[in-house]
Amino acid sequence: MTAFLEVENLEQRFDVSGGPLDRLRFENGVPTMARRIVHAVNGVSFEIQRGEVLGLVGESGCGKSTVAKTIARIYRPTGGAIRVDGEDVSQYDYRKMLPVRRKVQMIFQDPFASLNPRQRVRDIVMEPMIQHAEPGDKTIEKRAMELLARVGLRPEHADRYPHQFSGGQRQRIGIARALSVDPQLVIADEPVSALDVSIQAQILNLMMDLRDEFGLSYLFITHDLSVVRHISDRIGVMYLGFMVETAPRDKLFEEPLHPYTRALLSAAPAIDPDPEAEEEIELTGEVPNAFDLPSGCCFRTRCPFAFERCSRERPVLKEAASGHQVACHLLDGET
Amino acid sequence: MSVQKQALLEVRDLKTRFYTFAGVVNAVDGVSFSVGRGEILGLVGESGGGKSVIGFSILGLIDPPGKVDDGEILFGGVDLRRKSEKELQKIRGKEIAMVFQDPMTSLNPLQTVGEQIDEMLRLHSDLDGKARRARCIEMLSDVGISEAEKRLNNYPHQFSGGMRQRVVIAIAMIAGPQLIIADEPTTALDVTIQSQILKLMKQQVREREASMILITHDLAVVSQMADEIVVLYCGKIVEKGPKQDLISKPAHPYTQGLLGSIPKLHDRQDRLTQIPGTVPDVRNLPQGCNFRERCPFAQARCAEEEPEQHALDAGRSVACHFPLEQELAP
Repeated sequence: MTAFLEVENLEQRFDVSGGPLDRLRFENGVPTMARRIVHAVNGVSFEIQRGEVLGLVGESGCGKSTVAKTIARIYRPTGGAIRVDGEDVSQYDYRKMLPVRRKVQMIFQDPFASLNPRQRVRDIVMEPMIQHAEPGDKTIEKRAMELLARVGLRPEHADRYPHQFSGGQRQRIGIARALSVDPQLVIADEPVSALDVSIQAQILNLMMDLRDEFGLSYLFITHDLSVVRHISDRIGVMYLGFMVETAPRDKLFEEPLHPYTRALLSAAPAIDPDPEAEEEIELTGEVPNAFDLPSGCCFRTRCPFAFERCSRERPVLKEAASGHQVACHLLDGET
Repeated sequence: MSVQKQALLEVRDLKTRFYTFAGVVNAVDGVSFSVGRGEILGLVGESGGGKSVIGFSILGLIDPPGKVDDGEILFGGVDLRRKSEKELQKIRGKEIAMVFQDPMTSLNPLQTVGEQIDEMLRLHSDLDGKARRARCIEMLSDVGISEAEKRLNNYPHQFSGGMRQRVVIAIAMIAGPQLIIADEPTTALDVTIQSQILKLMKQQVREREASMILITHDLAVVSQMADEIVVLYCGKIVEKGPKQDLISKPAHPYTQGLLGSIPKLHDRQDRLTQIPGTVPDVRNLPQGCNFRERCPFAQARCAEEEPEQHALDAGRSVACHFPLEQELAP
């Protein structure tokens, strides 16, 4: 069986040059029209099987949210393919995307900004269904109420407005809205980052239950390593728009191979520090900006093990063990 | 209680209220704790717990409609609440410094970082310009900023988030304060940067034998940094004690629930133990124990009588009628 979602060599660049006057530069007295391009995603490939949860982790600016938004086709990718159920939707226009959106829904980070403040909860949850249903479908309202009950809201909540709810409850409304059209894949972009820990646990548990009940796949984006370990089957680690490592969840935590993954894991604060933890890899410096990527490996400027080849040649994602892919020259054994 | 070395800061029965149109909010409601010299105290809790308000109350930075209504804030034996604003200004920055959450907004965008660090020395020392500049350069390189001399002339927007937080720490440390109050100092930062900043803060505090109050919602951060932990819920202390005991053997159901809500990094379990419900409205707290509506162990007594803080062994105390006794699985 083919994967439900296949992303191949996805590339997303943003031109932020601005107008002609912003772009005008003089180099040695010669006027040139400079372009400023943000290299947000640089050739990322992965698959999500039916029923699988893929977690994407990375620090701010690594392109994980851009990947999410590009797959949801909020952005049109500048390169690469996005195959949903075998169908390449990467260049679809709005009209052609409509049936695809039924299969792929999104939950957003900020539950205060992602719900229309002027709509009642009932209408928020019904709206995607109305978009996709036959005119005059009478079951929509009933289904909305069922969904609200399923995510843990009471019937009287249906007639209230978003501002009357707490952050956790709003995130529940967002989840009900995403599920209303029976999607197969839900893209969740930092869905619990804005919530307090006790509420975060409630939402994570709810999302796990719903996955089993509705047979969902998730693309789960987060910066929080303990959350990603909790929810994912497989994890991808991103850095500066590149996928540096993907592995099954436990494998990644027990045997991280990429120096960045190892640094990330040793930097994460834990209330259960690993007694057998290897020597900590401490990173110095900060992430380079995405206007000019470093030559060769994206991580070499901060990598304690970087050697000559790293600046010359960009490592590609290679299978290091079954299901465990890493983009690092160190694994080739020659230093 | 064992004989303790003299506390640097002792807060007794602090009550801070906000008089809003919608009613009186008891943001901090009878909180007592102390910070020993050279000690790092972690104040933890979820939003609305009152942890930031405690920090502001200590420094006398509560603005109307808020007011510190009651209690004593003894700093080196002297009650800060009895000090005038003028006297407090001498203490702020020199004796007690604060590091805020957001390094983007706590620096002045129109002044170079050099001017901002220097301001502390101008106000709180009698060094001349040349000596101050030397101190600033030294401090800036101490917090891990390379080419410190050049960077003094840069403006905040020329620094990244992590670098700005280093500058804020330099400002806080330069006058040699005895107490640093850090309010969510790393919440806005990425994990790899967070770990750099936390290490830096710990090292600076230890080197200078200062004390620190670390205010955060992140139990994992607190468990790495603090010696003592105070857990707050709805403006009240539910539990306090030495870090190791409190984390391995929480006595209050709320602390246990918080610990269970955090996904473990090394020991993954299938389901998180969640705390049901949400934090009650602070203007309309339940009768009896604030936590009882969310507590799995609540009994009739919890609804009638508000639990008082009482001591357990090993310097710990808890505000619960039925404190937990079992040890959590490690």
